[in-house]
Amino acid sequence: MSFEWYESVGTREGLKRTISFLNISVLILSAILVFSEFRFDWGEQMLGRFLAAVNQTRPEKGAVWELGRDTLTAHETVNQLIDRKSDTQAFARRIDSFSGIARHLLPGEWVTLDKSHFKDLYRSLPLTHARQIMDPARLIWLLNGDVTDRIFCEGLKNGIKIYFIDTGNRVIHQIELTQETLTVITEKKYLKPGTLESFGEFSGRIYPVDRFFDAVFKLPGEMIPDLLPDTDLLLDQEGVISRVGIWNEAEEGFIRLGFEIRHQNRVRVLFVNAREWAVWQLGLILRGTHS
Amino acid sequence: MKPIGSIWTAIRLAFFSGLMLVCAGIFSVTVLVLYTASDLPRLPEDLSRIIETPQSLVYNAAGQVVLHLGERESVPLNRVSPDFINAIVATEDHRFFLHHGINKLRTLKALYVTLFEPGRVEGASTITQQLAKNLFFSFEQSFSRKFRELLVSFQIEATHSKAEILEVYINQIHFGAGAQGIEKASDTFFGKSARDLTLSEAALLAGLPKSPSAYNPFYHMDRALKRRQVVLQRMKDTGYITADQASLAASEIPELNREKKDARSGSYFLDALIKALIDTYGENVVYKGGIRVHSTLDSRLQDLAKISLGQGLDRLDQEMGVSGENSPRPQGALVAIDPSTGAVRAMVGGRDYFISEFNRATHARRQAGSGFKPFVYYTAFEKNGLHPGTLMTDHAVTIPVAGAPDWQPQNFDRGFQGNMVLKTAMTRSVNTIAAQLVQLTGPDAVIDTARKCGINSPMQDVFSIALGTAGVTPLEMTAAFSVFANAGNRHAPFLFWRVEDAFGRVLFEHIVQEQPVLDPGTAYQVVDMMKAVVDTGSGRRVRDHGFTRPCAGKTGTSNNFMDAWFTGFTPTLCTSVWVGFDKQHPLRDKNGVGITGGRGAAPVWAQFMHQALADEPERKFPVPKEIRFEKIDPDTGCRVDFRDSRAGMVVAVKKGQVLCGETVQ
Repeated sequence: MSFEWYESVGTREGLKRTISFLNISVLILSAILVFSEFRFDWGEQMLGRFLAAVNQTRPEKGAVWELGRDTLTAHETVNQLIDRKSDTQAFARRIDSFSGIARHLLPGEWVTLDKSHFKDLYRSLPLTHARQIMDPARLIWLLNGDVTDRIFCEGLKNGIKIYFIDTGNRVIHQIELTQETLTVITEKKYLKPGTLESFGEFSGRIYPVDRFFDAVFKLPGEMIPDLLPDTDLLLDQEGVISRVGIWNEAEEGFIRLGFEIRHQNRVRVLFVNAREWAVWQLGLILRGTHS
Repeated sequence: MKPIGSIWTAIRLAFFSGLMLVCAGIFSVTVLVLYTASDLPRLPEDLSRIIETPQSLVYNAAGQVVLHLGERESVPLNRVSPDFINAIVATEDHRFFLHHGINKLRTLKALYVTLFEPGRVEGASTITQQLAKNLFFSFEQSFSRKFRELLVSFQIEATHSKAEILEVYINQIHFGAGAQGIEKASDTFFGKSARDLTLSEAALLAGLPKSPSAYNPFYHMDRALKRRQVVLQRMKDTGYITADQASLAASEIPELNREKKDARSGSYFLDALIKALIDTYGENVVYKGGIRVHSTLDSRLQDLAKISLGQGLDRLDQEMGVSGENSPRPQGALVAIDPSTGAVRAMVGGRDYFISEFNRATHARRQAGSGFKPFVYYTAFEKNGLHPGTLMTDHAVTIPVAGAPDWQPQNFDRGFQGNMVLKTAMTRSVNTIAAQLVQLTGPDAVIDTARKCGINSPMQDVFSIALGTAGVTPLEMTAAFSVFANAGNRHAPFLFWRVEDAFGRVLFEHIVQEQPVLDPGTAYQVVDMMKAVVDTGSGRRVRDHGFTRPCAGKTGTSNNFMDAWFTGFTPTLCTSVWVGFDKQHPLRDKNGVGITGGRGAAPVWAQFMHQALADEPERKFPVPKEIRFEKIDPDTGCRVDFRDSRAGMVVAVKKGQVLCGETVQ
């Protein structure tokens, strides 16, 4: 006798079906699963192992990864700052001119210069310009007088600033080299084309070279180096000095002298800074009023 | 028969339906796990390494470490007191060593409570789940987050030993007061290593992670002790300790490390320093970059500053009859700067950092009152050719102000004293004469002088600027007076000398640059007048308190006694002290008498300077070569012979200045 599944069956049949092998097996299996899970946590372990297996495919996110990234970024930032500084320092050591340093240093960046390196940079300048940057006597005091501990060079928007610093990090002396000053030095703007007449400031104070040097030799011998501080600059020029002019105003204790030099159809004026008081003495001789 | 048959059919139907539902559930969970797993955060291979971040160190001027920044120090399990490990396990997850990431029965119970008991939410997170949450998830409360956290905890359990999990857990939990990790917490609260914790201390710490703020023992010891009782009970219930051990530990009141009080910087100076560093390098580099910062902090002076200001404010409390329970207590600030460099050697921005972190030394812009007069006198000397011996008259002054009522400044005592030389006017802090001076110079010139000296706060171009109506900070006042102390040369104040990376490579170095901003001779004339303020004028309390060294300074009291100042200096140290209420409230004693700068701030200054300079030799202010000292009659401004026994006043005048028609040679 067969029944459809929705048909009512008797108690006996119903009981028989309920405790059928299949049902009991399913029930026992379910119970074993549940109890074994509670006892042995195999579900958690299985899931855990599965997740561990796919760990590498998952994204690095969450607080701890962010912290790691932040730490990494912080270190990279510090290293970049240090690297940049080291590069600048290494570059500054190799460089052989102030203008080279100025070109490389960004505003706010700084490098430390060795005393000997600074001396070399200073001595590479024409003396007349070197004197303008710093008096040699002061340089001797700063570098050989046991007052300077370090020399800092800081980049500016328009040039560089050089600090001479004692052991207490105190600035003892500072010089600022503007781009303009550096350009004059590097581009040899102390040598300009044209005759002395091209510069109105020499007007009325232009002398033939013989007359000029006659007057120079009438000065006391110890005064001549103040009048012609950078003889090398003059001796290095090719051509003949024809005339000399005296500028009509003083600047920071110096007066410009212009030496008109002729060479192969070219006429140029070489500017040299002379001490104001020496030029004043020379002027007296040139005007014939020297006692 | 039919009904019985129907019942059996229904049972069978229910059984198979249930079976199908279970299968569907398993299937859904599998799909959900697969779906969620793809977006779960990846676990680092070594969990313990992730909590190690390099710390940045701050050194004081003597080279001692005074602050660790971003410190997350990890300690192995065997360097932690077993009492603490037992306590934390008993409290947070007593079945920790038995489960695999989830405590199922507790979770089912918690789920039931959360779902069927409205208003109640019960947590059942195991230590592993808490670790998963702390490492990877936000504190957002949602079933989704909880499920993901659960999955991650399964993975942690599957790939790490219980000891590893516990070690990472105790090294990253927050105990409050800024302490993260057991080693830091142990140091912060008890000043010892985690391995040395006693049962009593361990139980107290184990109770904190539940609510670090609410149980912070520095502020709520009673609550912390109650919570510790719960921890000890749990330890007893779970068999870690006996009842006797529990009651013995419960009877102990742990001694807290009051010096630390908090894992924050604990110092106004260090807060200002951290802010300056963050402004330069960013928070990331400061806290996680492992940098070394050599600060200008002089720890001895900082301690003295804290003590002097604290005691001064306590004295004020007594004079004013305030206890702080019913009425607000006055606050204060002190800044000390080395005038020859600008290095800030001490800075206190309030009476108690742990009550109020607001740094009044750098942020409170308060009216300087007469403390502003040195800038007025300097400007008048420099711009109008006046000098300390110039005769003026203290009388009623009316200054017309465009578009506003006339300004009629009053003296402190409301009276007028007639003719007097400017040195006397400064010494007695005569307002009408300062008003006449600003009328001569114009307020813009005075502002210009103040700006040159380093006052950066906004200042209005008004005549009342002469009486210090502009709001300035104590740091600004100290820096500005340092210019007078340093012969007119300014150094911008700074907080650190050098910053290095972890390997000692220099990132930044402060170089001391002097900016000549005031004429040295004129600055000295003002200094000489300020010396008289201390010796015989409104700042003489400094001398009354036994400070006998050569010094100069100026008191300041703002309108209606809202602020009391004293800013003064020796040749080697410049210090400004401000006292007042945070809110607009006058400083008055029990009898209703207003408290001036001389009474409220000068004693603090004197106490601090006396101790700060105790080991230094006395130094005099260097006198510029153009300065001549002349004895004059203070009522006429005319010269008196030094040998003349009549009372006179010595003034500092410059060569070429005129005294009563006579030119000084």
